[in-house]
Amino acid sequence: MLQDILITGLINSGVYALLAIGFSLIFGVARIVNIAHTAFYMLAAYCFYALLVTAKLDVLVAGILAIVAITALSLLCYKIIIEPVREHQAAVLIATIALATIFQELMQVGFGGHYLGIPSTIGGAFTIGGMSIPWQRVLIIVVAAAMLAATWWLLYRTRLGLAIRATANDREAATLMGMNADRVAMASVAISVALAAVAGVVVAPVFVVDPRMWLAPLVTMLAIVVLGGLGSLKGSLIGALTIGYVEAITVFAVPAGAYLKGAIALSIMIVVLLVRPEGLYGVAFEEER
Amino acid sequence: MLRTLLSVMAVLSALATTAHAQSSIKIAILGPMAFVQGENHWAGAEMARDEINRAGGINMGGRRLTVELVKVDTNELQSVPDATNAIERAITRDRADFLMGGFRSEAVLAMQEVAMDNKKIFLGAGASLTKLGANVEANYDRYKYWFRISPTKDTDLIRTVFTILGSVAAQIRTDLKKEVPKVAILAEKAAWTEGLVPAVQKTLPAMKLEIAGLWQPSDRATDVTAELSAIERSGADIVFTLLSGPVGIVVGRQMGERNMKAVAFGINVEAQKDEFWSATAGKGQFVSTLDTFAEVELTPKMTPFVRAFKERFKKSPAYNAATYDGIYILKEAIEKTGTMNADQLVPFLEKMDFVGAAFYTTFDKRHDLVWAPGKTAGIAVQWQDGKKVPFWPPQIKGMQPFRMPR
Amino acid sequence: MYLLRRAWANLKNEILVLPSRVLVALWVLGLALLPVVWPDPYILRIVTMTCLFAIFAASWDLLAGFAGQVSFGHALNFGTGAYASALLAQNLGLSPWITVWVGALVALVIGLATGWLCLRLRGSYLSLATLALPIIVIGVLFAFPNFSGGELGISGLRRLTTSPVGNYAIAAIAMLVSVFAMWLIADSKFGLVLHAIRDDEVAARASGINTTRYKLAVFMLSALFAGVSGALYSHFLRVAGPSTLEVALSFQAVIWGIFGGAATIYGPVAAVFLLYPFTEWLGNFERLSELRLLIFAVTVLVILLFMPRGMVSWVRDKIESVCPRCKARNGAWRRECRLCGAGLHGAFAPARRAP
Repeated sequence: MLQDILITGLINSGVYALLAIGFSLIFGVARIVNIAHTAFYMLAAYCFYALLVTAKLDVLVAGILAIVAITALSLLCYKIIIEPVREHQAAVLIATIALATIFQELMQVGFGGHYLGIPSTIGGAFTIGGMSIPWQRVLIIVVAAAMLAATWWLLYRTRLGLAIRATANDREAATLMGMNADRVAMASVAISVALAAVAGVVVAPVFVVDPRMWLAPLVTMLAIVVLGGLGSLKGSLIGALTIGYVEAITVFAVPAGAYLKGAIALSIMIVVLLVRPEGLYGVAFEEER
Repeated sequence: MLRTLLSVMAVLSALATTAHAQSSIKIAILGPMAFVQGENHWAGAEMARDEINRAGGINMGGRRLTVELVKVDTNELQSVPDATNAIERAITRDRADFLMGGFRSEAVLAMQEVAMDNKKIFLGAGASLTKLGANVEANYDRYKYWFRISPTKDTDLIRTVFTILGSVAAQIRTDLKKEVPKVAILAEKAAWTEGLVPAVQKTLPAMKLEIAGLWQPSDRATDVTAELSAIERSGADIVFTLLSGPVGIVVGRQMGERNMKAVAFGINVEAQKDEFWSATAGKGQFVSTLDTFAEVELTPKMTPFVRAFKERFKKSPAYNAATYDGIYILKEAIEKTGTMNADQLVPFLEKMDFVGAAFYTTFDKRHDLVWAPGKTAGIAVQWQDGKKVPFWPPQIKGMQPFRMPR
Repeated sequence: MYLLRRAWANLKNEILVLPSRVLVALWVLGLALLPVVWPDPYILRIVTMTCLFAIFAASWDLLAGFAGQVSFGHALNFGTGAYASALLAQNLGLSPWITVWVGALVALVIGLATGWLCLRLRGSYLSLATLALPIIVIGVLFAFPNFSGGELGISGLRRLTTSPVGNYAIAAIAMLVSVFAMWLIADSKFGLVLHAIRDDEVAARASGINTTRYKLAVFMLSALFAGVSGALYSHFLRVAGPSTLEVALSFQAVIWGIFGGAATIYGPVAAVFLLYPFTEWLGNFERLSELRLLIFAVTVLVILLFMPRGMVSWVRDKIESVCPRCKARNGAWRRECRLCGAGLHGAFAPARRAP
């Protein structure tokens, strides 16, 4: 029971962390509430499916191609759709909602409304402490951890990362210091969507792929980001672990109440907000407009 | 807006000119057309239409009428008001004479109201909710135009499942030499399972089965590792499933990935579809479920229908394709009574004894199918090596044995 | 005769001078004449739904556009109204004419609670926290299926009236009254304070305004109107189900509100009257009906790219201009202000309203 909770929670948290950190990054740098974030995750899963199952490419090639393609697509969307209306926060908001809807409907038209399955990319399972964990799930944890480490390295050990963090901190000051705020925004969009795409690709062989698969993680991801504090990467990571484990514990502790896990996770978010309105690690930006 | 109005005008005037010389019967097929359910509604209806029209149409009191179908996308899975708008459009704009279809219970309840307001015969082919039929009994004059041609109401569905479970359990008793097999109940949290779960919990001990526990994931859960490892730990022999959502695929797949010793049986709507095998990436071995159509002789019409369907649409029919029977039911009723008047057709339908492709159809006082194994109770199928193999009721010609993992 | 002449003078001086007012007058006239000119039950049903959603969209605008409390969970109030009214009608057997009001009041109380929860939150935190609320309520409803009807909701509700025209009349009158009331509220001193809170809450507080009280009040008012629309909706469809609380409906309110133009009240109403029949009209075509959500989203996106402040605001700026001196509105064809006589297109660039 305990080891079940540990492992399940870890897998949940890994996926959530990949999604939440990317979302947080875009919000921090560009102040965009990107509702379409998990739609890119859905697109990556579909793209992976098309390349792997339909085009019969090698797993690794298909995965990398899918991630690159979706990242490129996100930059295109940003340039064509988001940038012209950047000044109008409200317009950006519904532009992302509309984008997500468009992606969902396009996938529905292209692949149909039914559920698709992707064969396991690595088979077998390994046994630890009396429970067997399929390698496919171990892969999720490993990839998530590697991507998080890479993101940390990029943000804290490179000049680009410095620019991103500076812009997130104070856009005007960063511009005055000679940073190209637009290019920084582009870079963070790319990093953020790439993380979501990685999540989509590693998760696809385990989950079911369907045009509406972006909605449930969207809500959970938003809860995590708010819980951890908007724009805070550390907060997103801790939020992801919290919600991931809360969901796992709910399922194991109240078997007949497993459907409640979403509601419970969201309630925790509300409680945290009541105590700390800026989330766990959010910056208390008093009068930001 | 202006364009809307103009186009609407155009449609109305076109209707006005054609309405007085009726040479066809308009049947509106309502369903979520972008999804498998709606596709089946439409496909089944199309087959019946083409067969009937090729054979000269429907003979109403000497007049030959062709069958004309109207495809109405209710979008009901995404929006209930869209569904009610769609049925209203079918009735008042398209001037449909009969209505058929529906799937999501919440939407069908709302659509039923609109159809009854307009006193149109509405043949339900998808929602199993008891209340739809109970409405007929409670307020006959208003709801008498509703008939459910597929499936049987939810409480009858579960009677079927118990009957099959009994034969599965008998096999386990002999195979494993275990007097009281253990059953884990895995039911998605949804309206249709709410009434069923207590019934299951009450009935299983009476069938000499031990309950290992109850797990209720959400119907859209993407991961049931937690539930399955707990089930494995409990040492269950049968995983009794009540699943209609995509979680059915996840359950089948993850059970296969874990090489679970227990066999899954019950209702698993996703496992009724051809795509189940590929959706589970070939891991859905031994998953079994209640189903409606297979190439067996449950009724004399079933095998030819299933073959023709597969031939034409390159996949096997789901239970929503019972719209095929629905159109033949209407044909027989119209030919025997010589009218399209709903009030005169209702008494005939109530007494009707019809042999369709799916069932031997007779209606009870709730206008639900009268439940009987081998007649309206459907069949059970199991996935074996990529094929959906029918195994129940065993006495029917074409059935094959049920297999256990290990 | 005097009254007639007076009415004509009013019409000429107050309505015909501004194209936007002429449009509004025509729209009201159209709504009033629709059941006489075109009593097709299908059209009436569509317009009835449009009216109900118009109340809903306008109530979101009151909260989000005017007070800056951009709620992503406005369906909470809609659903509360629907469920409260349905439960009362079903369990106590009350007439829907009573329960609609009670439903709206329950929504008001829930709105107060939401407001209290969200007092300390601002900006995106508020949006995302409110997004969670209806989802939590759905979880609670599912946990008590005997009470709430679970996934199916409560069905078989009584109608307010049985005829399509009657239902239409109720919806249309409710819509006109609510929207006009919201417009009055937004245009009053109260609305001015809301503007101040949205633009700079600290400054508003510093000017001696009890912002807490105002924020709670606007949460309550907005919830009240959303509750009315939800309750009417449930009795019209005869079902109050979890679809009234879905995320999609909350997003729908945001889309209508911003598409039409936030902080205008009439903007969202116009957006609903354009978009809802438009998507329904797409459903008339066999080919397009499966694509209607796609077409809807693309339309919204494209129009926004050209009119980022909302369609109605954009149109209004094209057909009218604002006097740089007295801020009165004028028809775009005028060269000088109709009230103070200042030049409109001279030395001063027309003042633009803050986004």
